[in-house]
Amino acid sequence: MGDRGTGLLKIAGITTLLLLLWCILVWESPLSFLTPNNLENLLRRTSLYGVLGIGVAFVIISSGIDLSIGSLVCLAACLLALFLQVDYVPVGQVEVWQVRADASTISVAADHGFNQGDELWYYKDRRNKGLVKVVNIGDTELLDGKSVTVLTVEPPPKRDQDSREEKPLGKISSTFDVVNYDGKVAKLENSAPGLKHNDKILFVHGNETPREKTIDQNGEDNQIILTDEDSGLNADFRAVPIRKTPYMSIPLALLSVFGIVLCLGVIHGLLITRLKMQPFVVTLCGLLIYRGLSRWLTNDQTVGFIEYQETLGKVATGRWETGIQFMPVKVDPTNDASSWKLVWDSAEGAQMFGIPYSFFIFLAVIVSAIIFLNLTVWGRHLQAVGRNEEAARYSGISTHRITTLAYVLCAVLTGLGGVMFAIDSNSIAPSSFGNFFELYAIAAAVLGGCSLRGGEGSILGVVVGTALMQTLYNSIVLLKIPDELEFTIIGAVILFGVAGDELTRMLAAKFRSKEA
Amino acid sequence: MRALHQVSLTLKPGEVLSVIGENGAGKSTLMKILAGVQPADSGEIFVDGKKTSFENTRAAMDHGIVLIHQELNLCDNLNVGQNIFLGREPRKLGIVNTREISQRSEEFLKRVGLSVSPQTIVGRLTIGKQQMVEIAKALSVDARVLIMDEPTSSLSSKESASLFELIESLRDQGVSIIYISHRLAEVKRLSDRVIVLRDGEYCNELIGDEITHANMVSNMVGRDISQFYNRTPHPIGETVLKVNQLTTPHWPQHSVSLEVKAGEIVGLAGLVGSGRTELLRSIFGIDRPLSGSLEIGKKTVQIRNPKEAVHHGIALVPEDRKQHGLIIDLSVQDNIGIAGLQKHANRFGFANFQRQKSDTDSMIDRLGIKTPSARQISKFLSGGNQQKVVLGKWLSMAPKLLLLDEPTRGVDIGAKQEIYQLIEKLASESMAILFVSSELEEVIGISDRAYVMHEGQLTGELDRSELNEESIMRLATNTAEHKEAKT
Repeated sequence: MGDRGTGLLKIAGITTLLLLLWCILVWESPLSFLTPNNLENLLRRTSLYGVLGIGVAFVIISSGIDLSIGSLVCLAACLLALFLQVDYVPVGQVEVWQVRADASTISVAADHGFNQGDELWYYKDRRNKGLVKVVNIGDTELLDGKSVTVLTVEPPPKRDQDSREEKPLGKISSTFDVVNYDGKVAKLENSAPGLKHNDKILFVHGNETPREKTIDQNGEDNQIILTDEDSGLNADFRAVPIRKTPYMSIPLALLSVFGIVLCLGVIHGLLITRLKMQPFVVTLCGLLIYRGLSRWLTNDQTVGFIEYQETLGKVATGRWETGIQFMPVKVDPTNDASSWKLVWDSAEGAQMFGIPYSFFIFLAVIVSAIIFLNLTVWGRHLQAVGRNEEAARYSGISTHRITTLAYVLCAVLTGLGGVMFAIDSNSIAPSSFGNFFELYAIAAAVLGGCSLRGGEGSILGVVVGTALMQTLYNSIVLLKIPDELEFTIIGAVILFGVAGDELTRMLAAKFRSKEA
Repeated sequence: MRALHQVSLTLKPGEVLSVIGENGAGKSTLMKILAGVQPADSGEIFVDGKKTSFENTRAAMDHGIVLIHQELNLCDNLNVGQNIFLGREPRKLGIVNTREISQRSEEFLKRVGLSVSPQTIVGRLTIGKQQMVEIAKALSVDARVLIMDEPTSSLSSKESASLFELIESLRDQGVSIIYISHRLAEVKRLSDRVIVLRDGEYCNELIGDEITHANMVSNMVGRDISQFYNRTPHPIGETVLKVNQLTTPHWPQHSVSLEVKAGEIVGLAGLVGSGRTELLRSIFGIDRPLSGSLEIGKKTVQIRNPKEAVHHGIALVPEDRKQHGLIIDLSVQDNIGIAGLQKHANRFGFANFQRQKSDTDSMIDRLGIKTPSARQISKFLSGGNQQKVVLGKWLSMAPKLLLLDEPTRGVDIGAKQEIYQLIEKLASESMAILFVSSELEEVIGISDRAYVMHEGQLTGELDRSELNEESIMRLATNTAEHKEAKT
């Protein structure tokens, strides 16, 4: 729409800049720049930041701004971590509400599944724990409004305890006989529940320290293979089976995260269109609110996905092997200033170049965004609204809906970016994760030709802009420029890039007026 | 291309000289050169017989030549005094002397006959009063030549009348005035002498009795226009729009009822600010009416936004072409196609660009839009062609009812006539047309029927046979005492 010529010129300009920077890197530091590892890294970082850049481009084209991106990335990451949080819960565990030493009874929640003669594992804290045997199962009665069953046990508890407030006096669960134990393999009695990979077993016996073991796999006849061997274990122990229980399944967790960020985007849009608040203010408040929320939800503790190494971790670190192997080597190893060449041979220890999975997600986002912005009615309406909202409204466009849509798209892409960043880094510190990401995204969009005046910008430009930003970052490391200058250099390049853009615009206008 | 080619003019003290011509005839360029806004490629300027040259507006101002722009150049947020002395603030020890500003401003305000305090914030004044402030500002630099570019374009006729009185009194004080206007009635009333420009060249000079409407028009257009409003009879059909007791948010105390039939051209006359634009806005769903209902083709409908209005076959060509009518930075095709994007999209939401292109081509052809290509950016077109682009946008939607708000504002005389012919043609194709116009002769010339508004109220309905300037003005001012005929 509009100035197609100048748009192309812009992309050409910034692409030239990117190629120039690549040439400098190849010239100056080929041995570290041209390694498959470095290039993969560059590709991965570009993909992650690029998703955010495309998101904010929609908002910038609508002549708005979104400052909440960094915090929203953090919130999405924290939410995903919380939703995927894993608990280890002993099978059939119930709460204990009252302990009587003289009567030798324990009152437990009525929905227990214990039988007379069962040996149970009672656990409250380091001191109050131990195996007890059920001698008799008493009646169900009411205790402080809770229905409990009174179990007579042996040995009798050491002292009376009453639950204060609403907290139970620890938990109690069934134990099972270890029929035999041999190295990594333990066989449990037949009535023991089936366990799976990554579930655990707590081995308890008399006064010995309880030992928690992770299960590698489940064999036949309740044969359980543990991940490691323990010479202190034997068949005298009893086993407390513990099951790994995630809060949500992965698809449900992803769906919930996207649902939540989508709602936040709708809220941004409604505040801006219906209450006529300024986008800057709305999203600035978002920046503060989401950061605080993330810290509160996680108790300001670093969260991650340690339990998901084999699922999410694989996606994050995974790559599509291209089969191309290469490495840059010096032609003459004795000469410091020697020339170099690329070796395309596995024999020399060259690495395989693989394309990170995140790049394919990015590619899908690019293609959908280009189609949306240029070929669909809503994309065209978005560009019109960004140029002149009033005229668009007078033309029968629902400008409120279109503007809201821009914020929703931005929030959803930010959520996607947040998820990608989260599984990529696997360690989310809620107070700093995603800091300044909004500025990186806005900078990439502006560098890529989006005008903050609205109505102008192309997805390809944003992609090249992001690549340029990440190459700059890469070059600061590779060219051994002091770290402290990182922001200065990125800032200067953006400044020159945009100034050059304005200059060409002025020259083009002058040329046109001369022609006219 | 040269905007202006070898034009000469002289100006005597205490004279009102009008410069007229079609849009693009070079009037504005000439004035910019005289006021030092833009340098001339060749030629000379003499002031008091001495050859001078103006590098910038400051230099022109020093010679007492001041240009008052079409769009006023005042700071809304400052008060009257601060505006008058903007950039030339009297200082005392480096601090702005507010007392002196007030005192000296009052003197100039008195000279232009404006009774407001210098402390009034300019944004609170009406456009007419702001114009007076602008003139006071010009007098404060000892202006001997005032150049006024379309000064009445946004004034009500009452405000215009007081402006004319001011111009006459300034002339009597020995100030010379160069007056630029499209409104020939004003030119005829004020001018001692008229210079006609055509295609950037000097065309003719009219003095005294030669200044007649017909003379000016034929000189400007370069041909004799005997039948400017070429009316052809067209049959009038069923009622298309019926407005029942509609109350707009701007005039909550009055409600308006009217109707428009298929093939009927209905004028909506009145002074600027009488609530005509607001009425159109409410019909089109831009402002939600407070009460009342609309009937489209005998069905009561609710129109909550322009999208719904378009859905019901209503189109609006707004008064402010650059802000509301067009997206000025986009191409002709993008502008014409924008209203129909949704309608012609497939069910996945993909836009139909072939359809957009063919619609645009047919509109360029049908309306005679002069543009190098459909891809031309709209802002590079002339006012008349821009207006045709707005019309093209709506005609491609084939509306049943066309609302036009000042359709010929800022449009040159040739394009004006084309727009009138188009309106006639659309009516003969049984489109219903409701148009707002502040130009009486336009309302009289093309309406089948006209409503007149005064301060948010409909004060009357006039049939074609009853339409004349006096009857309209009487209703527009809502008084019997209106004596002054404006022509």
